[in-house]
Amino acid sequence: MNQVNDRSRDIGEFVPRPDDDMVICRCEEVTKGEIRKAVHEGMWTVTEVRRYLRTGMGLCQGQTCGKLVKGIIASELGIPQSELEPATSRVPMRPIEMKVFAKEAKEADGNG
Amino acid sequence: MKRYDLIVVGAGPSGLSAAVEAAKRGMRVVVFDENEKPGGQLFKQIHKFFGSKEHKARIRGFRIGQQLLKEASDVGVTVILSATVIGMYQDKELVVRIGDEIHHVKGDSILIATGASENMVPFEGWTLPGVIGAGAAQTMINLHGILPGKRVLMLGTGNVGLVVSFQLLQCGCEMAALVDAAPKIGGYGVHASKLARTGVPFYLSHTIKKVEGTDHVTGVTIAQVDSKYQFIPGTEKHFDVDTVCVAVGLSPMSQLLKMAGCKMVDDPKKGGQVPVCDERGQTSIPGVFAAGDVAGIEEASSAMIEGRMAGVAAAEYLGFMEEAACSREEDELTKDLDCLRQGMFAPKNKGKKIDKTEEGIPLSNTLLTKGYLADDEVEAFPGFTHRVGVHPVIECTQNIPCNPCQDVCPKECISIGDNLTALPVVVENAACIDCGMCVASCSGQAIFLVDEDKGDGTAEVTIPYEFLPLPEKGTEGYALGRDGRKLCPATVSRVRTAKAFDSTNLLSMRVPREFAMKARFFKSGNAADAAGEVAG
Ligand SMILES: Cc1cc2nc3c(=O)[nH]c(=O)nc-3n(C[C@H](O)[C@H](O)[C@H](O)COP(=O)(O)OP(=O)(O)OC[C@H]3O[C@@H](n4cnc5c(N)ncnc54)[C@H](O)[C@@H]3O)c2cc1C
Ligand code: SF4
Ligand code: SF4
Repeated sequence: MNQVNDRSRDIGEFVPRPDDDMVICRCEEVTKGEIRKAVHEGMWTVTEVRRYLRTGMGLCQGQTCGKLVKGIIASELGIPQSELEPATSRVPMRPIEMKVFAKEAKEADGNG
Repeated sequence: MKRYDLIVVGAGPSGLSAAVEAAKRGMRVVVFDENEKPGGQLFKQIHKFFGSKEHKARIRGFRIGQQLLKEASDVGVTVILSATVIGMYQDKELVVRIGDEIHHVKGDSILIATGASENMVPFEGWTLPGVIGAGAAQTMINLHGILPGKRVLMLGTGNVGLVVSFQLLQCGCEMAALVDAAPKIGGYGVHASKLARTGVPFYLSHTIKKVEGTDHVTGVTIAQVDSKYQFIPGTEKHFDVDTVCVAVGLSPMSQLLKMAGCKMVDDPKKGGQVPVCDERGQTSIPGVFAAGDVAGIEEASSAMIEGRMAGVAAAEYLGFMEEAACSREEDELTKDLDCLRQGMFAPKNKGKKIDKTEEGIPLSNTLLTKGYLADDEVEAFPGFTHRVGVHPVIECTQNIPCNPCQDVCPKECISIGDNLTALPVVVENAACIDCGMCVASCSGQAIFLVDEDKGDGTAEVTIPYEFLPLPEKGTEGYALGRDGRKLCPATVSRVRTAKAFDSTNLLSMRVPREFAMKARFFKSGNAADAAGEVAG
């Protein structure tokens, strides 16, 4: 079984570290310590951490922190990064104002 | 809903090349790009490219971009700018934001050519204003004419770090140092040497420990790391800088492909998550293609060929072209691409330990760790010869796919042969006429013209010079060695500029004879200081 799916595995206690207050996701201001703690609280995938802490859900949509968050989770779980799925990609892939998102252009030609 | 034969996302080198190939075959093509200006990365690249004539070598990046744009408009490609594609669905429908409206468009085929985004590394202080990506710095200086700062430290010695550092120098910034956690410089030796000879220091096996400042960067501390990338106590070095540039690699921006359901793979050699593609760039969804950095981080030269391959394949997919004709073209393009993917820096050689050139000459270790060729190492290479009269001295010592030097010499003094990655050789008995074309055309600025004995105790050394203000004939100053140290007094004897040199000036300086094979850069100023330093 994939080590991420085997939730019975003991990954040990959360141990504070000196660089825990370093911001990793700048858009949502999430620190390294918060991400590490989240893993010990049961968030073992990039998507779970994302839903729990909002990492990668800000303005840059994880462009900057995506790889960093994945690296931190993997090292906390003691597994290679390649075992973790990166975050899901969804429409809209760039932040967009609701008023724009709701404004569909009327196309003159075509068959739609 | 609007429908096109081919929709291209991204107007960089790969996207534009694909659009041209498809439109040439009668397809209705649109290209969306979220930028205000088309061209992708190319428009920031003011340096001359490597490669061969077929790969547009020795042309500056932004000029290649201009050529591509003209070709695209000539064959009727529509380029829509400030158009962000925010979504893609499996049935080849795209959601595009243009202005403050959302458009839905459908393509019978789609090419994703969205390029890449910059990686970051976290260290204490990395969120301070003044810590920026190297690509961002390049955008600021080359597109907007804004200096990111006055004194800069660069983290990362891949080609991006090296090229951007040189361009920052050209803009008048001071480069405090280039730093890399790896034990060896990652980019081309010739790019590193351009920096080293101006006096910029390299710190390999070092990384940033801490960036200082309260509301902006005021300094940075680096320290040495061991083979496990752990800091070695007591090795800290401090620099007063106002900017720290980060050039630690790029990641493919492949989200659109992923959300559409293309099969993806995590491939560290390609820079991260990339779509699984066949040899023509088709993803697991028939009719959806990927080309350029989004399919694996490489170069603009390879991105253009990949783009053309995808354009041709899309034409065949939709029946605008016969399979046989398509195969012929793809074979040609594959050959071109293979040609580029050779040499020490080829994707397939990533991470491999190489310590000899293809010719069997030991690689310069100083070049890999300090950025310059040590005086005793350079002698071993076939471009480094002693002659009577003016002759080229070629300090290009790694196997890279490049040959403009051979191409431009009217007297056939320089030979690389058919193997694009072979080291340039100075041909015996060929008569150099001092035209300077080789010096100006070398993308790595690695060729010098030397007259070792002018008969009056001096030698004349001609160097490529791309800085302003341009020293005038008669300017007194000093020569610097490959390592950037002051060597000896020097006087500018000639300054040549020509249209064919494409903004690379040729600066000739007179130096004492014994420095003919050592003097490789010129700075104006007090020559007495230089003499003092040499004596002391
Ligand atoms: C500093 C630096 C120096 C380099 N030097 C060289 C060199 O000397 N020689 C060489 O061959 N290569 C060089 N390269 C590499 C080269 O620039 C890239 O490999 C090449 O530009 C990749 O081309 P591309 O078409 O894949 O992507 P890009 O050129 O990155 O173009 C992608 C385009 O897609 C657009 N886009 C992205 N997402 C969206 C979206 N959702 N909607 C709409 N548009 C979107 C972007 O705005 C961009 O214009 C260098 C790169 C850098 C950063
Ligand atoms: S100066 Fe001119 S003739 Fe001499 S080697 Fe260079 S290109 Fe050839
Ligand atoms: S010497 Fe020739 S092969 Fe080497 S970088 Fe210059 S042009 Fe390219």
